[in-house]
Amino acid sequence: MAVLAVDGVKKSFGGVTAVNGVSIALEAGRIYGLIGPNGSGKTTLFNCITGLERIDAGRVRFKDERIDGLRPSQVARRGIGRTFQMIRVFPELTALENLLVVTRGPRPQAERRGRELLQFVKLERLADEYAGNLSYGQQKLVEFVRVLMTDPALILLDEPAAGVNRTLLNDLLAAVARLRDEGRTILLVEHDMKVVMGLCETVFVLDHGDKIAEGPPGIIQADERVIEAYFGR
Amino acid sequence: MRLSPAVVLSGLALVLGALALYPFVGTGYGVRAMLQVFMWIALAGSWNLISGLTGYVSFGHVAFFGAGAYTGAILVASAGWSWPVAALAGGVAAALLALLIGYPCLRLKGPYFAIAMLGLNEVLRALVSYFEGLTGGGNGLSLPTLDATRAIYYVMGGLAVAVTAMTYAIITSRFGLRLMTIREDEIAAEAMGIDTFHHKLAAFLLSAVGPGIAGALTARDQGYIEPISVFPLAITVTMIVMVLFGGKGTVWGPVLGAAALFVIQEIVWARYPYVHPLLFGAIIVAVVLLMPRGVLGLLQLKYRLPRTI
Repeated sequence: MAVLAVDGVKKSFGGVTAVNGVSIALEAGRIYGLIGPNGSGKTTLFNCITGLERIDAGRVRFKDERIDGLRPSQVARRGIGRTFQMIRVFPELTALENLLVVTRGPRPQAERRGRELLQFVKLERLADEYAGNLSYGQQKLVEFVRVLMTDPALILLDEPAAGVNRTLLNDLLAAVARLRDEGRTILLVEHDMKVVMGLCETVFVLDHGDKIAEGPPGIIQADERVIEAYFGR
Repeated sequence: MRLSPAVVLSGLALVLGALALYPFVGTGYGVRAMLQVFMWIALAGSWNLISGLTGYVSFGHVAFFGAGAYTGAILVASAGWSWPVAALAGGVAAALLALLIGYPCLRLKGPYFAIAMLGLNEVLRALVSYFEGLTGGGNGLSLPTLDATRAIYYVMGGLAVAVTAMTYAIITSRFGLRLMTIREDEIAAEAMGIDTFHHKLAAFLLSAVGPGIAGALTARDQGYIEPISVFPLAITVTMIVMVLFGGKGTVWGPVLGAAALFVIQEIVWARYPYVHPLLFGAIIVAVVLLMPRGVLGLLQLKYRLPRTI
């Protein structure tokens, strides 16, 4: 049974159709990739799933409950976490506060968990630094572990590899694989094909708001429509 | 530069003790001036709760002051309530008003919220002028004479302490951090599961209570109120300037701003009555250009001081 079922979702802005009746289904405990040229609707689809955009038509189901029409915070509380393509940490909160602020329950536990996660991405020494003072890559890591603080069942990652150095990237990818092994589902937008090939079991391809292909990465790469979308005819 | 809690607490106790004894030794003018400072601390501190923390700038916060003033005055003058109870009722009335206004207006994004609040204040002033039977309309409302300045001094002082203590409690809590995420990045806050609307509403309610009580106390102290005396835009602007000067989003910024600007205002007012409005304008411009974080915000950043200063 699908954890997330996106069914015929449409979204237009004025006369531009950003997502044109896209359907995808995600099974629990797997890693999915979402690729496509710039402007193909990947981020808009993320926004439709997480409630940041109100969809024009279609349905979004999460664990058998309709979540389209809910506020983003309600979607998040049901267990969907995300990162943003353009980093969105809280700059005038410290790295640790960035993690604490999304938690509920006893504070000491949350603080311990936060420090663990910062240690995991090797930022423990910067725990009390304002997030706005961290480098791009460090902010990206804070944003990544912030998602983990909420213990989400489904994680949407918008270009996790962009701007992260190789060594760190490998740790990050290992972490994503581990999240999958814990039974979480991951959907990631990524331009780095090596990352997509190495990690994803299934890839969805968008082009001009349409889903033009779906399948294992090896097959997708040979798909004519995909090649056409990326390189032109 | 870290002061131990014991030092800070004994320093605070000393200051509060001195302020408690002051009415017995101070001049009439001095006591009235301190009373004003307490009022401004309560007003600026309250404005800081919604606008300093969430970044939603309220341009009509004096509406809560006016609502509290009229509620308190009517309850004392027409219903014969004792003024301390009427003052509490003023706070409750302001909170109810905040609930009523916050529900639609806090869904608006920043600048639209600011303008809506400005409108609210004008509407309230018009309403108060219109319902003459209850409020006396433009003729104002007189309260039975009573000299309670000393008692009001203590209650207003207690209010200033309460607002500051509440600010401290909020800023050191995750609730306070969540309010700040609204200022930092409201969309990210929502996406991380923070119910931004209800957080804003809670902050707005809390920020209305202090001005409501302060309004009712001021009405009792002055013995006479009229629409233009309790709903002037100038009160809102003064609150804003005090917080910006002291440091928005900090605990002591509003206290520092209220005290410093009140003193400056008194001096300038006495010597150069005509340039007084000019001065406020100049301070706004200077603060925004030279230290947009205010005095404490600047120190905080420069010396890595905790947010709780």
